[in-house]
Amino acid sequence: MKNALMPRRAATRLALLGAGLAAAIATPYATSSYNVSLITLVLIFGMLAASVNLMAGHMGLVSVGHAGIAAAAGYGLAWASKNGHGIGAQLLFAVVLTLLVSAVYGLVSMRTHGIFFLMVTLALGMVVYGLAYRMAPVTGGENGLSGIRRPAFLSEYWQFYFFTLALFVLVTLALWVVARSPFGSVMRGIRESESRMSSLGYALPAYKFTAMMISGSVAGLAGVMAVWHAEFVSPSSAGFLRSALAVVMVILGGTGTVFGPLVGSSIVVWTEHVLSTHLERWPTVLGLIFIVVILFAPSGILGGGSAAVARWRARRATGRPQPAPGAEPGAPPGGPARPPADASTPTASSTTASSTTASSTTAKGQ
Amino acid sequence: MSVDFLLQQTLNGLSFGALLFLLASGFTLVFGLMRIVNLAHGAFYLLGGYVGAVTVAATGQLLVGALAGVLVVAALGLGAERVLLRRLRGRELPEVLLTIGVSFVVADLCLALFGGNPMSLRVTGPLAGAMDLGSMSYPRYRVFVIAVTVVVGIGLYVAQRHSRVGAMVRAGVDDREMAAATGMNIDRVFSGMFVFGAALAGLAGVIGAGMLSLRPGVDVDILLFALVVVIIGGLGSIKGAAVGSVLIGLIDAFSKVWVPEFSYFTIFAPMAIVLVLRPTGLFGRAA
Repeated sequence: MKNALMPRRAATRLALLGAGLAAAIATPYATSSYNVSLITLVLIFGMLAASVNLMAGHMGLVSVGHAGIAAAAGYGLAWASKNGHGIGAQLLFAVVLTLLVSAVYGLVSMRTHGIFFLMVTLALGMVVYGLAYRMAPVTGGENGLSGIRRPAFLSEYWQFYFFTLALFVLVTLALWVVARSPFGSVMRGIRESESRMSSLGYALPAYKFTAMMISGSVAGLAGVMAVWHAEFVSPSSAGFLRSALAVVMVILGGTGTVFGPLVGSSIVVWTEHVLSTHLERWPTVLGLIFIVVILFAPSGILGGGSAAVARWRARRATGRPQPAPGAEPGAPPGGPARPPADASTPTASSTTASSTTASSTTAKGQ
Repeated sequence: MSVDFLLQQTLNGLSFGALLFLLASGFTLVFGLMRIVNLAHGAFYLLGGYVGAVTVAATGQLLVGALAGVLVVAALGLGAERVLLRRLRGRELPEVLLTIGVSFVVADLCLALFGGNPMSLRVTGPLAGAMDLGSMSYPRYRVFVIAVTVVVGIGLYVAQRHSRVGAMVRAGVDDREMAAATGMNIDRVFSGMFVFGAALAGLAGVIGAGMLSLRPGVDVDILLFALVVVIIGGLGSIKGAAVGSVLIGLIDAFSKVWVPEFSYFTIFAPMAIVLVLRPTGLFGRAA
């Protein structure tokens, strides 16, 4: 049943995207430099969260160690900058460290799944933290490395903002393409049933490794941007709190959604930087928000919102009540706009086993 | 490298390993039965340590401090299980994520209640000072930690093998549906185990506070050690926790002296090797 609503829905979505982008471009002209800098931070952590979201949302693998990859990239850049290397060499160091650390993450975690993956990435992140903390001659130890200057063409806050915005759009687009590709289908197949994908002949470790490399690259990019933003890097950028906050962003926004990480990042950055000036106990507030979302809105703010919209639309279209929350969103099957995977969370992995796996097998057959 | 040096580092490693066992045993028991990876375990440790240190400072009694730490953390564990975790029973990932939220809140409240300055438990009486070991002396308290852990470890083993509750727990680990079908209240066993695991974390906190100082961030450090120990030993296995604790304790003690820059890396390397060769850990069963 491909109803007539589809084109209008796609048009609405495009209009929303365009409006959002226009607002983002207008931001520096409308608000203070402090706010612009804060929004830049939202975009940067949005990228970090998006890198976690790729694996968490589509593969069901929640990493609590991605800050370690981001920090490694940041340290590469900062170290090269401190040692008088040019911008090219700085970026080269960042790229090499990103790929190296991502490869270690990938190799160590590729045979694990579920909570084991979570624990392994958590431990890996702590190892990066420990190395950053203890290898003081290279990393500056507890004090970190400060005075890292951005390249001249990004030195003004608004230049940096536009650059970050452009990168964010590119990264979002790239991750969207990955998620829509046959590779994305395999990822979702792995999330739904590892044993099935394995018996279909997919080499699970290779897919997990590749996904980690893609996700790690995005995290590394976010790490470089974070260092340029703060002009500073310290061990805490690799710490558990940073990694856990990235996961919090993903869950708050909606696991597996395209813009969920951005929503989550806005909430976390706002709590950490704005609310914290009024309220000393902001981590408690953040923890409580997180607990409430996990308990009562497991598909996050965007996930829960889009499911509600879909239910409302379906009710209007058919004129009768639709199934309760938690069921698949009432979008017509086969509609290209929003596949079921978008609204589901890792929690759904054991219950909704069939649809995406089936589509991934057809994808392979083509 | 003298014999004294080796002996001293070995004792350091064993006493730290003993602390790790207290910590990891609760962690691994909860996982073995309930499949919950409690990432708030480090925050439970920190809270237990603070409560213990404050109580000991007020009363001068280590036993009272230990009781206070254990009771407070056990009560917190009961609350977390009854009010929060129960709603997500059986959904592994949301359960873990929920414990991250709990750890944020507990760690932040610790900061609010006890401040950010390092604090430790002041040991007095017969446990204070050093004991004579031939040509060297060694802190009595660290030997006491090893003794406490040996007693707790033997107690856990005997209780698990030879008591009614232990049999219920083993039945629950093997097959929770069948265990429930025989008429036992598996729900109560679950709650009890979570509270017991929290109590062990609290005890570890109090005992550990006499050895390592407490400050914000210790919760995460100690959680990492617990994770590494159970990943090496195998999640859910007490025997694995014991072997992993001693191994990591010794490695940590020696690497801190020999290669201080890499001391995090040295505990990580064995974990990576175990994961590659035997993803379920040395004594773990396939999930």
